Formats: sequence, structure tokens, C-alpha cells
Amino acid sequence: MSHQRYPSHDAVKEPHSVSLKVLRLSRPSLVTQFPLQPPLSDPSSRQQPLAPASLAYSPHDGSDVDTNPAPFVLSPIVNLPPSFGSAYVGETFSCTLCASHDAVNLLAPGQDESALPEVARSIRDVRIKAEMKTPGVGAPVTPLDLGPGSDKGIDLAAGETLQKVVDFDLKEEGNHVLAVTVSYYEATDVSGRTRTFRKLYQFICKASLIVRTKAGPLSVGGQGQRRWVLEAQLENCGEDAMRLEKVVMDLELGLVYSDCNWEASGTQRPLLHPGEAEQVCFVVEEAVGDGGSVDERASEEDGRVVFGVLGIGWRGEMGNRGFLSTGRLGTRHVEPKKVAA
Amino acid sequence: MDQPTEQPSKGHTRTRSAVKATRPRSSTKGPLDVDDVPLTSPGPLSPPHTQRMTLQPQPRSPGPASPLPRSAAQSPVPRRPAPRPKDFSFLLRPEIYHPLTPLAIPTAFRSDPSKQPTPETPIPDLLARGQFRAAAIAATTALTGPDAPAPSDHARIFSLLYTRLACLTLIDGTAIAAQEVKTLEDLNSVVYVDETTGEHLVPWELRVLNVRLQALGFGDPRRAVMSYYDLAREARARLAAVMARHDNSARELWKDRLADVGIRVAGALVEMDDLTGAAHHLGSLPEREGDGGKLAMAKALLWLHLGDVGAARRCVKGEGVEETAEKVVQALCDMADGEYQTALDRWGELKEESDDEMIVVNMAVCLLYVGRMQEGKSLLEELVACGRSSHTLLFNLTTMYELCTEKARSLKIKLSERVAAMNESVNGWEKTNADFKL
Repeated sequence: MSHQRYPSHDAVKEPHSVSLKVLRLSRPSLVTQFPLQPPLSDPSSRQQPLAPASLAYSPHDGSDVDTNPAPFVLSPIVNLPPSFGSAYVGETFSCTLCASHDAVNLLAPGQDESALPEVARSIRDVRIKAEMKTPGVGAPVTPLDLGPGSDKGIDLAAGETLQKVVDFDLKEEGNHVLAVTVSYYEATDVSGRTRTFRKLYQFICKASLIVRTKAGPLSVGGQGQRRWVLEAQLENCGEDAMRLEKVVMDLELGLVYSDCNWEASGTQRPLLHPGEAEQVCFVVEEAVGDGGSVDERASEEDGRVVFGVLGIGWRGEMGNRGFLSTGRLGTRHVEPKKVAA
Repeated sequence: MDQPTEQPSKGHTRTRSAVKATRPRSSTKGPLDVDDVPLTSPGPLSPPHTQRMTLQPQPRSPGPASPLPRSAAQSPVPRRPAPRPKDFSFLLRPEIYHPLTPLAIPTAFRSDPSKQPTPETPIPDLLARGQFRAAAIAATTALTGPDAPAPSDHARIFSLLYTRLACLTLIDGTAIAAQEVKTLEDLNSVVYVDETTGEHLVPWELRVLNVRLQALGFGDPRRAVMSYYDLAREARARLAAVMARHDNSARELWKDRLADVGIRVAGALVEMDDLTGAAHHLGSLPEREGDGGKLAMAKALLWLHLGDVGAARRCVKGEGVEETAEKVVQALCDMADGEYQTALDRWGELKEESDDEMIVVNMAVCLLYVGRMQEGKSLLEELVACGRSSHTLLFNLTTMYELCTEKARSLKIKLSERVAAMNESVNGWEKTNADFKL
């Protein structure tokens, strides 16, 4: 995520006493370890305990429970996300924003601490505001909700941090800008002023899944209801494996569907490595009412039967969730060819 | 060789690619051949039998027209009257070993004279003090210096070589170890076998470490899976032999080794990103009695890594899983579900019951996700004050430092000073700049 400091709003060209740092909160990751036998250990009847330095965390002494599945490569201890990574459509973008009273910031480079006037500046009423600019032309800038707690300003002693977390559902490909504004009141013994600065963080959101659909007619059902088959190919165009969790249809009124995929067959959810595709299929038909007849014909727009939208949910590494839905799907209705008896 | 070479039906013909051509010819069989030696093979292993299993070079190209040069030259004649002493002088050449500089070590670890090892410090002392960089250097000196072992002293040579390679992997020097290990070439070669007893001269732990390092060094991760299967096959044969002898202590050893290699196969699959393969493999391993649910934990973590939270939760529902292990997995699953507050509560409960470093670190991470980083940071600093210093702890703490201030560097240096002031221990004392993100 590239970032830049927006030109300061206020005329004072003095360094700010508050700093802003951000970290994208993707899921934490399990730490890998490569356990090995301690060198120079005596050959003995049992395998020696593994060298503690080769484990992801130190085994604790005197306890009977060992939570480390060594020699397995994954351990249950987690690391914070090391870098920004890639952002994908369908994921929730989470980010933590930290405004800190950076006492050392008051010192200009090369300036001696004693050269400062009264160091006793107090920082009050610190507030963070954040908004997201999405790539759509003329798209409005979305103000973001910051949690936890209220957005009331708080006072920070030197070294203290105001931390907030924002969540934003990524729905579009392209350039996003997270704009963060920090404002605070800087008070000295004799005077005070309100100061503000703004930082912009730019990142690119990529497509995660390509969905190709095809609909075709099926023979009319027993109660005279029209039926169609909807097929979809889901291709992972991201860089990480994803496990498909659910594919569901949100249909227009008067239509029902049956799922022909892993839920129906009771098989394992498909795992899609980058570049792999999974084919899914649904049978869509007009709902049959209590009377045993079709209550209402499916609505058609310009001779096109509209089914509804297809929603796809998946989980990435460490369970990172993704969900996206297609546009409205449908087909021009053609009577299926009658098969000669 | 007591095995005729006219069985090209076993294993397919391989076209060796350009990459593989740099690799020593190996006598590895495919993993599917693992049942060649049944676990219940009757009778103790006679030496020629062992040789057949571990040494027989597989014909890579069909037909006798292309004999393998090495096997032709060194094929042991069974019961040779007086075998020549082995010559391992090729492992004593100084040019194999890379110099290790202290450049990546924070100054704090170089300033206390009482903790600076001298060239005279014996290697066991260095290991016990967690001075792994010094131990790796000392091992090289011992191998190549004036007091180098005799070229036939295989026990000492391999012990020092293992010390060198193992220590390298502990100081973020795995890439160097992967280069140095190439000198060993094919450990299945007859060079490494005692011609009279049929015993492999290389200690088991070096053969195990060699698998991963050579896979990295030769850029051929798939090879690791096959090489582990090779070791597993040998362990099974040994196990059958000692069971026939009713040698109970040796039986436990070989059982442990077999189980260990089985888990390492899954690790190799994870390293090459074949996570589904790894999951299948772990699913095929037998639960060992009294392992406290370690295998269940391994499976659960793999499912989590794969993003299948439901499967991870199911892994620890069974019998024989420690309650703590189950709670740990449940808390990790909550984090995977994005339910950080629920996870935080669970870690908090676990922290009351145990002083496990992992529980506290994970709790601190959760605190950051729910917007309470200050508390998380204090937790991690308490851990450091208690003498913990795992890479993960330091990484997470320095990440929090970076979030707290524009001037994290001074905080990181202070942290490195605190860690350097800790007592030296076998858990590892010296850290690198990367550990503090310096």
C-alpha cells in the first residue's frame, strides 16, 4: 500500500505531535517450524526430544500439556500479517489505524531536547476519521465506521495510542484510496490550537473469481412448469488457493431451484488453486403451487426469463472470507426440442 | 548385487529434465513401492538383505545397455574379505563451508564480553548456551582445521557435519545449509554403507535433515517426499527386524522414527503447497496411543491453513484429544471466522490454566484485532520480561512497536538489548536483525 502525506491543512509548518500508522488486518497466519534433533545427542533407545530452538515457541517447563504438534511444520502460534498482500473483490478489507502521541516527534532532526520550549504540551481530543474512495467514476467517497467505541475524541499522554479498526467490503476492481484524517488539540500552558493532518493510502483491488454462466432449457416438468439448467464456471484468478464454501441462487419470485453441487452430492467442498476452475450447476424451475399447477409464469423482460443472481462464498488461507454475487442472470426462453418417440 | 536388474516393469522410465541432471543419481524408489517391504517381514534382516533395500540402484533406463557408472564401479561384492577404510575426505575441504559474518547480528548481542564465545569454547557448551552461530563456525573449524578427524572417522565427521547444518537452520541460515549439504550427494550411495555389516554410516538425524536441505538445495521439493518414503521404508524394515528379535527398546526407537518421518512427509507436501495432498496424507496416518492428540492438532492446523474451519473443528472433537489442545483449536477457528472477541475470551481462559507462550502471544494478537493493542503490547512485553524470546514473539512485538510510533527503531533496539541481557540457554540466545525488523 503506497501512501503519501496530504499537505497539511494548517499553516503551521511544525512537525506534528501525533503520528498515524496503519496495518492491514488480514487473517493472522500460523507460524511454520522445522523441528530437528539436537546435535551431539547421545544415541539412545528413544528418540530424543526435539531441539527447543527449532520449535516455533518455547516449550514450557513443568507442564504436562504440550500444544505443539512438532515435528509437524505448522504450529498453533500466529504471526500478525507481515505485509499488505493483495486485495481482492469479495473480501472484506480490514485495517487498523493508530494515532499515537509521539513525544519524540517534537524534536526536529539535529535538535537537542533542551532546545525545545516547554515540552509540556498536552494532546487532547484526538479523533480519527476515515473514508474510502472507490474506483467508479464519480463514485461518492464512502465514510467508514470506526470501531471500537465511540468517535469521541480522547486525550493522549506521551507514548499513548488511539487505535481504531475499519472494515470495508471490496466490491470493485481497481484503485482504492483510504483517506485518514487525524485531528487533535495541542495545548501548552499558555495557548492551544487545533491541528489536522491527512494521509492517503492507495491500493489496487484485483478480481478474485471469474464467473462464466450459461443457461439452457430443460424439458417441461410434470406439472407443466418450465425448467432450465444454469451452469457456471468459477475460476480462481487470484494468487492464493480458495475453498469454495457455498454457491446459492437468489431467485426472482415464482422460481425455485435445486442445487446439483457438492452439498447435494455430499462431497468435499472444492479447493481451487490459482488458475483452477470449478463447474457448478443448478436446475431452475417455475414454482408449483399447492394446487399442483404453476401459479405464476416467470417474469420475462424483452422475451428473456430472469432467474436472479448467483452468490458464491469462499474461504481463503486461515479462513479469510470472500463472497460475491453476479449480476442478474437469465436466458431467452426457447422450447426444448421435442425428442421423437 | 543379489537382485537381477532385468525388471524394468517396476517403475516407469523417466526422462530426466535439465534441472534434475544436476542432481546426483539416486537409488530412490517411488512412494508407491513402499509396500515392497512388508512390516511383518519375518526374520531378522541379514546384511545383504539390508543392502538390497537401501542400496540397489534402480535402473533408470531400460535395458542393460546403459549400466550406471557408479554401481558398476562400486557395487559391493558381498563378503569382501577386508573392506578398504572409507574415505570421507571430501567432507573436510574448507571450500565447502561458507563464512558466517556477524553483520546480521544486532550490536546488543556483540557487546557483552562475558557472552562472547572464544574459539576454545567446546561445541557442547556452545549448544547448551544457544550460541548456534558460534557452534556452526566451531563445527567447520573442527572439520577443516589442524585437528580435523581422520578421513575414515565417519562418526566424528558426520556428528560435526550435523551440528554445522542443524545450527545453520537455527540461525536463519537454511539457504547456506542447503548449499553445503549438496556435497553429500546421494546418501543412498554405497559410499555411506559399511560393507561388512550393511549398516548405514550416516546418523539417522542427519539423513532426515539432509532430505529437506537437499530438496531446497537442488530446487526439487518433490524429491523430499520420495526421500522420506525411503527412510520410512528402512525404518519399517528395521522395526520388523528388531521386533523379531524382541528388542523392545530398539522397537520404540524405530516406531518413533517411523512416526516422525510420516509427519515430515506431510510437512514436505505443505512446503510445496500441495495442501490437499498433505491433508490426505495426514488422514492416512494412524493415531498413536498417548500422543495427546498431536496428530489431531496437526490435522486441524492444516485445515485451518486451507481455510476449512469446519473440518478443523471436527478434528479435535474426537476421543484422546487433550482438552487444552481442543480449546486452542477452537480459539484459532474463532479467529479464522473473524470472531476475534470470542477468540480473545477463549485465550483469556486458557491463559488462566497454562503459561504456554503460544497462548499469550495469540491472545495479544487478538487484542490488536479488537482494537486493544496497548494491552496486547503489554502482554508481549511481560513475556519478554519472563525470558521468552521466540521469533514469533519478537516479530509481533516489533510490529506493534511500528504501529505505536514513527520512531520504532529506538524501541526495537531497546528490545534487542533486553533480549541480549537474557541468560544464554539451549532455546537459543543470539538473534538476528531480522528478528527485530531492524
